[in-house]
Amino acid sequence: MQNKVIAMILAGGKGTRLESLTKKTAKPAVSFAAKYRIIDFPLSNCANSGINVVGVLIQYESTELDSYIGNGEKWGLNGVHCIMSTLAPRQTEQGANWYKGTADAIAQNIDFLDNNNPKYVVILSGDHIYKTTYNEMINLHEKSKADATISVIEVDPKEASRFGIMAVDKNDVITEFQEKPKVPKSNLASMGVYVFTWEVLRKYLIEDMAKTDSDHDFGKNIIPTMLNDGRKLQAYRFKGYWRDVGTLASLHEANMDIALDKLELNLYDQDASNRIYTQDTSGLPQYVGKNGSITRSIATQGAVILGHVDSSVISSGVVIEGGAEIKRCVIMENAKIRRGAVIHNAIIAPEVEIKENEKINVDGEEVVLVDNGWGNK
Amino acid sequence: MKKVIGICNLHDDPHLGLLTESRPCGAVTFLGRYGLIDFTLSNFSNSGIEKVYVLVKSGILQMRNHIGNGSIWTNNTKTGFIKLLINEKGLFSPKFNTDIANIKLNLPIDEIDFECAVIAPSFMLTSIDYGPIIKSHIESKADITVVYSHLASTDAEYINCDRLKINKDNKISKIDTNFGKTSEADISLESFVITKKALKKLIADSAKVSEMFNLRQMISYYVNEDILDIRAYQFEGYVVPMLDFDHYVKNSFELLNYESRRQLFLEDWPIYTTTHNTPPTLYGKTAEVKNSFIANGSVIKGKVENSIISREVLVEKGAEIKNCIIFTKSEIGKDVKMEYVVTDKKVKINTTKELNGSVEKMLYIHQGAKI
Repeated sequence: MQNKVIAMILAGGKGTRLESLTKKTAKPAVSFAAKYRIIDFPLSNCANSGINVVGVLIQYESTELDSYIGNGEKWGLNGVHCIMSTLAPRQTEQGANWYKGTADAIAQNIDFLDNNNPKYVVILSGDHIYKTTYNEMINLHEKSKADATISVIEVDPKEASRFGIMAVDKNDVITEFQEKPKVPKSNLASMGVYVFTWEVLRKYLIEDMAKTDSDHDFGKNIIPTMLNDGRKLQAYRFKGYWRDVGTLASLHEANMDIALDKLELNLYDQDASNRIYTQDTSGLPQYVGKNGSITRSIATQGAVILGHVDSSVISSGVVIEGGAEIKRCVIMENAKIRRGAVIHNAIIAPEVEIKENEKINVDGEEVVLVDNGWGNK
Repeated sequence: MKKVIGICNLHDDPHLGLLTESRPCGAVTFLGRYGLIDFTLSNFSNSGIEKVYVLVKSGILQMRNHIGNGSIWTNNTKTGFIKLLINEKGLFSPKFNTDIANIKLNLPIDEIDFECAVIAPSFMLTSIDYGPIIKSHIESKADITVVYSHLASTDAEYINCDRLKINKDNKISKIDTNFGKTSEADISLESFVITKKALKKLIADSAKVSEMFNLRQMISYYVNEDILDIRAYQFEGYVVPMLDFDHYVKNSFELLNYESRRQLFLEDWPIYTTTHNTPPTLYGKTAEVKNSFIANGSVIKGKVENSIISREVLVEKGAEIKNCIIFTKSEIGKDVKMEYVVTDKKVKINTTKELNGSVEKMLYIHQGAKI
């Protein structure tokens, strides 16, 4: 039986720019918006799109992520037609090879894809924050009879030189691909979200595997090669909120976007079957004390707020003691902020304890990460 | 705990005023995110009791909706389960719709492999580990162990609850009703450990004694007639009794206090409940929250004080909520001022700008009302 679509989520990379947050865990497992982990977003998107077969490519510090994904139940991906598989590099008759790049990771799992025999493969990144369904993009791919469809987002022309830029014709068919161009020919940036016709992608993956001078990367190798071969590459214009949270600054900013309710990413959908799903935690509903206050923020169950919180993200099990002042902070799970501490513009790693009256980054412009050795164990 | 089954008995549940008009007591929202039955189910789960039967008197649909397939409380979902049992014919003759009739019809005691059963109601909220109680029961070789609490203020509280008279060796010599004659008493928590043999005998005897008798009454009968070996076990933890609507309100507000809260919610004793995939609560610029519980999915833009806000509640800018309990998916509109109000689910308050109950008489707004 052919499952028409399989989604493959790339979650194997080392998120070096998140410093200690990813020292002992993969980036997609990092906490986001109080109660989620980054990978909840692409996984929930797959679930809400009706995609039943999902493979998650894991490699770097994958233990926590692997346990978290489990049988896919958190996102409902444990149903009768579902297959939820974490795919780590494995030994074969050919040897034992780590994933050398995004395309190599998929190439080493050709067996998994062949066994599930899809018509189309959706390639996603495990560390993007966005809420969407992929059906429109897949329909466009099918209708336009493209070999690959690339999701693109309009960026500020001044910023375009930071991205992989796609130039398109009047039908949004891609005519040229420029990697971080000095003179961009359009302002459509590739999001690293692709739909491929499996038959076609399979050929290119096998070819690419044999090349010794390739980075085995979708953006750098597979896409340009397909373009040069005259394959039809279709652009899909993505509309809505989308963030790549690869740096501390962008992780902080994306958290602030939710807390300050910029209404760009709607988590508050009335339709409960169209939400971002995550692991549930047991715990009392958040409690705000007699002398506490919380404004322009988001908080989740298990949080105890006895101090003053503004423009912040308070995760589960966090305790903000009396007299503490939190402004523009992301406080991750189970951190404890003791009496009178003042913290501005910071990310506090999970389990961290900030001592009484400690002052951190007061009026600081740049985001700091406080981990007090967490992540170095 | 391979040879112990759990029985959550909802037949004896009290009425909580208008809250239980459209739902059974076990399904009543508590502290913004729990159902009252969550404590009993979590106690079973944390005690290692994996096979659980819920004796439903009525309202099986609401119980099913709340419990789902029970996997939240079950450890191994193949060997463990939560089964809902109802005597449908009993709905037509309420006086005969007893827990005993339900067990007779739906629980094939002979076919189930167990040594003893733990029977607990949903309305006595506790965090209780049945492990030591079962051990004590087996060691004492008793037929039935009644779990009780030594309570104060029984001249004003726990009226009409079962009162125990306990001899040496913890044997119960008498069970009668607390009419408030003493300021302290040993009050039954309506939780029992009963051996398979004793349960079988009780079910068989009930037909001879009275078909209208329930488990509680049969046990009292046995004690007062000195039949079987019935002992008492003292539970020394915190008890929150939901005996009526006033208790529900009073006890809910009481748990806003840290001292009370930390005695009911213990650190290594999680109380599980169904997830509704709600996003974190969003607080706007004008949010002013003091001494309150706020459940997830809510959007708070107004003032909330000394209150309990359930999931997905919207409190608009200018709204002022004091000493209220707001159930799921309700909306408190702009500039609405309310004090001492309990709103059921999906209540929308926009046009009426002032609602005032009093501490003695909370104003109750029924489910789905548009005011």
